[in-house]
Formats: sequence, C-alpha cells, structure tokens
Amino acid sequence: MDYALQQLLNALAFGAEYSLVALGLAVVFSIMGLVNFAHGEIIGVSAYSVFLAAALGLTSPIVAVLLAVAAAALAAVAFERVAFRPVRYAPTTTGLLTAFGVSIVVQNLFMLLISPKPQSVSILNGLNQMWFFGPFAVSSLQVMELIVSGLTILALVLFLNRSTLGLAIRAASRDFATVRLMGIKANRVIATAFAISGALAGIAAVFIIARRGSVSPDLGFSLVLKAFVACVIGGFGSLAGAAAGGMLLGFIEVGLLVALPQEYGGFKDALTYVIIVALLVYRPEGLLGQRVELGDKEI
Amino acid sequence: MARFEVSQAIEETASPPAAVAQPRAALTRSLIGGLVTSLPVLVVGLLILNFAPTYYTYLALGAFVNLIVVVGLQVFMGNSNIANLGHSAFVGLGAYGVAILSTPLAMKKLSIPNAPFGFATLQLDPVSSALIALIMVGIVAAVSGKVISRLSGVAATIVSLALLIIVHSVFLNWTNLFKGNQAFFGIPKVVGLPWMMVFSVVVIVLARLFKDSRWGLQLRASAQSPQAAAALGIDARRLRLMSWVLSALICGLAGVLYAYFAGTISPKLFYFQMIFNTLAMLILGGMATVTGAVTGVIVLSVGLEFIRSIESGVTIAGIQLPQLLGLSGVALGVVIVLCMAFRPSGISGRYELDELLSRLFRRNAK
Amino acid sequence: MLSVDNLVVRYGAVSAVRDLSLKVGRGELVALLGPNGAGKSSTINALTGLVTPASGRIVLDGQDISRVRTEDRIRAGLTSTPEGRHIFANLTVGENLRLGAAIRRDPKGVRQDIERFLALFPVLSERYGQAAGTLSGGEQQMLAIARSLMSRPKLLLLDEPSLGLAPKIVVQIFDFIGELKAEGLTLLVVEQNARQALRFADRVYVVSAGTLRHSGPPSSLADEHGLFNLYIGG
Ligand SMILES: Nc1ncnc2c1ncn2[C@@H]1O[C@H](COP(=O)(O)OP(=O)(O)OP(=O)(O)O)[C@@H](O)[C@H]1O
Ligand SMILES: [Mg+2]
Repeated sequence: MDYALQQLLNALAFGAEYSLVALGLAVVFSIMGLVNFAHGEIIGVSAYSVFLAAALGLTSPIVAVLLAVAAAALAAVAFERVAFRPVRYAPTTTGLLTAFGVSIVVQNLFMLLISPKPQSVSILNGLNQMWFFGPFAVSSLQVMELIVSGLTILALVLFLNRSTLGLAIRAASRDFATVRLMGIKANRVIATAFAISGALAGIAAVFIIARRGSVSPDLGFSLVLKAFVACVIGGFGSLAGAAAGGMLLGFIEVGLLVALPQEYGGFKDALTYVIIVALLVYRPEGLLGQRVELGDKEI
Repeated sequence: MARFEVSQAIEETASPPAAVAQPRAALTRSLIGGLVTSLPVLVVGLLILNFAPTYYTYLALGAFVNLIVVVGLQVFMGNSNIANLGHSAFVGLGAYGVAILSTPLAMKKLSIPNAPFGFATLQLDPVSSALIALIMVGIVAAVSGKVISRLSGVAATIVSLALLIIVHSVFLNWTNLFKGNQAFFGIPKVVGLPWMMVFSVVVIVLARLFKDSRWGLQLRASAQSPQAAAALGIDARRLRLMSWVLSALICGLAGVLYAYFAGTISPKLFYFQMIFNTLAMLILGGMATVTGAVTGVIVLSVGLEFIRSIESGVTIAGIQLPQLLGLSGVALGVVIVLCMAFRPSGISGRYELDELLSRLFRRNAK
Repeated sequence: MLSVDNLVVRYGAVSAVRDLSLKVGRGELVALLGPNGAGKSSTINALTGLVTPASGRIVLDGQDISRVRTEDRIRAGLTSTPEGRHIFANLTVGENLRLGAAIRRDPKGVRQDIERFLALFPVLSERYGQAAGTLSGGEQQMLAIARSLMSRPKLLLLDEPSLGLAPKIVVQIFDFIGELKAEGLTLLVVEQNARQALRFADRVYVVSAGTLRHSGPPSSLADEHGLFNLYIGG
C-alpha cells in the first residue's frame, strides 16, 4: 500500500513537472508556430542564475526561487527579441532550426563561461526533505511539485480566461492579424507568451535544482525533449493536450520503473519513447489535437 | 527555407517535361550534374591523398564521413522540408552493425564474449558485413519511416529525435551486444581515402538522381504546397517514406565507412554532437541542393578545425590561452541562427553547381 | 477625415491596387464597389496596415499614418471589420466583445457598451457565454461589427458585411449601418451588394483591376454609360 502510494506520488510529481515544461512549449507554439528547442536552455539560464547568485553570497531560498522564475522569464523574452523575431513569419522548419541553434549556443556558453562539469548548488536543498504523515513517508519536494504545478496551471487558466492579454493570447493562437486589428500590440502579446513560457520553465528549474543539488550545461535539454514528446502525444499546440500529455508521460515512466526488472532499468527511456511512438501510430494528431496538415502554421 | 520555385516544382510535376518526355536525356543530365557536383570533393580528396601529412589524411577521412552523412540528411530534409534530428542513429546502426559482424573472433572474445544470437562466434568478411548492416538499417528506417511519414512536420521532427534517443539508449544498455559506453575496438580497418572518395561520389550522384527524379520532384512540390500536390494525386506519405529510407541508408553507409576506417567506435560518436555538426553543415551550405550539402561540409570542416585549434588552448605572442571548451559549439549554433535569420537558403541557394555553371556560360555566350 | 493618395499594393509580381486615390469626409458613408479581385480588400488591409503598400500616402485627420503600425492606427481611431468576419472562434461572444475594447481604459464605459450591443442584438445576448465559432454567419457578422465598434472608432472600414448572408439579414445589417451613420460615425463600406450599399451612401468609388474607374454620388452610377451593369450588375 505504502509502495503503491509512493509510486502514485512519483508519477504525479514527474507528470506535473513534464506538464509545466510542456505547457511552456505549447503556449509559444500555439501563437507563433515556434518549436522552441531552446526551452531547455531557459531552464539552464534560470539554474545558472541561482548558481551564480549563491556563489556571490545569496543565502535566502525564497529570493533564489524568485530569481529562478524571473531569470527564466527574462531569458525567454530575450531569446525572442534576439533570435526568434527575425524568423517570426518564416516557415515552421526555419523557426525550429533557429531554436535548435540557440539551444546549442547557450549550452556551449555555459561550458565556455562556467564549466563543462556539473557545479553544486545547495541553496534549495532545504526543499527536499522527508515528511511523515503517520506511517507514510513522502518527499516534500514531490508534494510541493504537485501542489505548485497545480496552482500554476490554475493561475495560467485564470489568466488566459480573464485578463485582456490572456484573451489576446488565446485569440492570437488562431488569428494573429485580427488580434492586431483590435489595437493590441503583436510584440506585447508575443513577449507575454514568452514570459509565461519562461516563468513555467523557471518553476520547473527550482524543482530540478532542489532535487539534483547541482547544475550542468545540459540540465534542461533532455527534460525538454520529454516535454516535446508530451506535447506531441497531447496534440501539438493544444494547452490542455500538453498538460495531459505531461501527466501521461509521468505515469508511463513510473509504470515502466515499477514493471521493469532492475537490470533492464536503463531501457526505461527507450521504452517510454517506443510506447509513445506506438500511440502516435494510432493517433497521429495526438490525444487532444486536431488534424493538422503539413502546413502547420498559418499567416 | 528551401526556396525553389513552388510554381516551377508543381508545374514540372504536373507535366513532367524532361522526366517523362525524354527519360534518358534527363537521367544523363542529372548524372552529369551529380558528377560535376562531386568534382570539388574529388579534387580536395586527390590533393590530400598526394600531398597531405597523415594527420590531415585522418581529418579528411572524418570529413568525408560527415560529407556522406550530410548528403544523406539532404536527401530527406532538402526534399521533404521536414527537419530530421535523428539521422545519426542510422550512422550508429551502420557502424555497430559492421563492428558486430566483422570484428575478428579473437577480438570479440575480449570485447563482447556474451553476445547473443551467436554473434560472439561469428565473423564475416567486411563486404557481407556491410551489406547485412545496411539491410538492418533499412529495416529500422522502414519501420520508423512508416510512423514519421504519417505525422505532420513538427511531430515528425520530434519523433526523429525520439528515435535517436531510443537507439542511443539501446547502444548504452544492451551491453552484451554493443559494449555499453565503452569503445568497441578491433574492427578491421579496410577503408582508406580512395574508397571513401569513391563512395562519396556514388552518394552525391545518388542524391542528385533522387532529387531530379519524378519522386524527388513530387516530394518537393508536396512540401511546398501540400494541398496543390494532393490535388494532383501525389501520395506525399509514400514519397516521404521513400526519401527517409534512402536518407537512412546513406547515413548507415557513412557509419559503415567510419567503422572501417577508424577501427574503434563508441555510442557518443553517434549522438547529438554529430547531429549538431552535420545539421549546421547542411544549413550553412543550403539544404535545397546537393551542392549545398557539399559546400557546407567543405566550409565548416575547415572552419571547425580552425576553431578546435583555438579551443584546445593556443599560444599567441608567447601567451598561452586557456582551453576554451564549448567554443566550437557556440560557433556551430551561431552559424545556424545567423543562416536562418539572414540567408535561410544557405551559401549555395537554389541552384546546383552544374546549373550555376551552365547559367554562367549562357550569360557569357550572350 | 481620411485621404488616400496614389496607393499601390503588390503581392510579389501581382499588382492588386494601382495608384488609387480616395477621400472620406467626416460623417460620410462612402461605398467602394467593384468586381471580385478588384483590389478592394487589399485597399482596406493597406489602410489598416495589415498589408504594407508599395507606395502611397494615407492621411487620417491630418496625420500621415502610412508608416504607422496596425496597432497604433487602431489607437488613432480607425478600425476595420475584415472580410469573412474573422471573429475569434475559440473565444466566447463576451470575450470577443471585450477584446474589441482592448485599447480602452474605462472599464465602466466598456461594460455599458457591451450592454448596449447586447440590447441591440438580442441573439448575441442569448449566446453570450458560447464559443463564437458556433454562431451562425449572420450572428457572426453582427458580432464582428459590434466588436469593431467596441473600440469607439472615428472611422469604420467594413469589408463586405453582406458576405454569405441571407437577403433579409443583409437588409438588417444595412439598417444598422444606416443607424451608425445617423449617429455620426464615418464609414467606408466595401460591398458586392451594390443596392444595399447605395441606400445610405453619400458617395461611391468604383474600382476594377486595382484602378479607380469612377467616383461620384450614387445617382451618377445609373446614368453614366451603364457603369453599374459593367462593373457591378444586379
Ligand atoms: N495575399 C495575397 N497574395 C497574393 N495575391 C493576393 C493576395 N491577396 C490578394 N491577392 C490578389 O490581389 C488581387 C486583389 O485581391 P482583393 O482581395 O483585394 O480583391 P477584392 O476586390 O477584395 O475581391 P473580392 O470582392 O473577391 O473580395 C486579386 O487578384 C488577388 O488574387
Ligand atoms: Mg475582398
């Protein structure tokens, strides 16, 4: 019982993290058609900001958390301004490759300017403790991950449904030109979408730092690959699909961890991807996606 | 990105002028085009073969492998206009295929004594090994291609990445067969520069023939304007599958050749680093053409070698600079980003080398 | 209020608008007529800035807005209801109206305006919380016009408000357009349905193949060499 509960919590916590990152990808994709491969490096910038601040004497975990989120949001907006704006109206593949290039640049800058080796960051270790509820021992980090992700998604939903800018983002995902006809600045809508996407990545970064206690140049890369897969399985561009896909991915992974014998544990990732690809054979448009033809992007 | 004329591609598909009317003439033209395109490669190869010191020969061999990979990549990306970020999986499969089949038994006893399916006690000659390895690559490509050709552009790209991770993870974890993350050594070194040049030319000509074939044209047309192509009765899925498999086989061949010249391989060679390098080469050169692939490899191979020499710490005016790990990565990324922003069609643009030359001639004649 | 001089719009090699000049005075309703592909929508889109003209000058209230971004033109008091309505299908009726007022900073006034349009179009009020994509064509057109008006424009550009609507609804829509004019709004209306467009028009421009063919009062159309039949018909 204890074991089953523990695994359930595992799956939910993993799933929550994937959902956060996948949502960040989906927000940007839905309005710009940009497949943001540099999303992992936004997580990286966030983590390295915390590392640098700690190295310079920052001790308050709360400030570190705020810094992580702010740095990620800023990095996302900066990437858009510098690299993605020139290819805003270009075909999807051009944007995708640009983002891939940005990802390579930033990862290597971490190596060049800081170090190729993992650097230890202990400032957020306090988040990762054991909590005891009667007979149950649970990881505080996982509980927080679940709650914070839930609240974040709720806040995102409220923002998208209540605020004018939120409405504009939803509208822009279908018809950008007409949003501009409402007098809403295109750049502002896009910057907001990137800031949201970055903030979601920053929250994920907090949990990653707390869990690993270190940062490394490829910190966000493999996580983002999984988040992409979550997006694809949920239906690329659909926000609900991204969240659902992330959760599903969490459950598949933990399910495999439980089911696979110890010595085959290394095949977990491979099998996860195989399962996902197999699902795609039956639903090429993803679980919640609409049939999109090759064109992918309008405008 | 691939900015060849939509209308032109569609028109040529609708009423294939040369391909149907005079099949042989078109074939010859395409063949000659391919040979012209591979001329620079031959010249560079011959120069190195005759004049360069061993160190450069070794570098050149690596560059030739990259060339074949990039040409393979062009076959899929250039024609279907879908980004492929998983092609080094096929390079790895080709390399490991021949490693497992052709490594001498004495060596295998050391490296993979517990290999399943009797591979530990099997040793084939290099040629049959290569053929079997390529058949394996073809099978994996056909299966993965079935999925990829059904998906929309973005999803197809993500799945190509998933394929890379699956294959890499199998290399790492199926230690009895692939030796995990340790180097697999003892592969017979049977390929030198001459063979590498022969295969490079073959592959370039092949890519050119595919591009100019009815299938290549139709695929490019459908990438430019899916609806219009569908209205003409073009089956884009089948064409994407076709180019995916051909692309994979060429990449697999690159892997085979790499294993046969280096003698030692390890999984990390066939992971993201190779994707970064070859993708940047193709983008810089221009992915719409085979000429672009060749150009990109030549330019970036030289450029990267220069940067690597700085990266490992140079002495300038008596001052020893520190190691700058990551510099080549930054350069590759910057090349990609700048190209995409300012010249998405790459150095060579829309025209193949032979087309460019004949245009020049015609202009001069006038 | 609006004056356009020597407007040229090109799409690659295609010239959609060639050297077009027109004027719209304060409080006027001007109709822009012409056959399919004449360049009417291109003109409208050039006025809002959604397409960039190759050359030409656009002056709104004495201010040259030719180089101004779409967003800022809307803020300057010009707006358009695009051809084919372009309501935000995934947003509700209410959300569409709120977005229409995105540039306004008076929440109370916005609320009052929403009330007003709901009273004016009772169907919209019934469908207030429903996704706008589920409305009928006529309802969508009403929503689209109401959404444009939410920004309190000085000048409204209407691109084919009758597109795809039943004759009865078309009459309703033009009745409403007449009311807007009576309230003092300046309008430039592009129409295929010339009879309806001419009901309230002060002046008419006729374009074909991107070039201005005729301008004058509505009555001039009937007498001048069968112009009406030549370009418009019906
Ligand atoms: N985005 C575009 N790209 C290329 N050509 C275009 C584009 N938009 C319009 N055109 C061309 O410009 C010309 C004018 O088009 P426009 O839409 O302005 O006509 P219109 O007068 O509004 O016609 P309709 O009454 O059918 O709406 C047409 O020949 C059209 O094919
Ligand atoms: Mg029109």
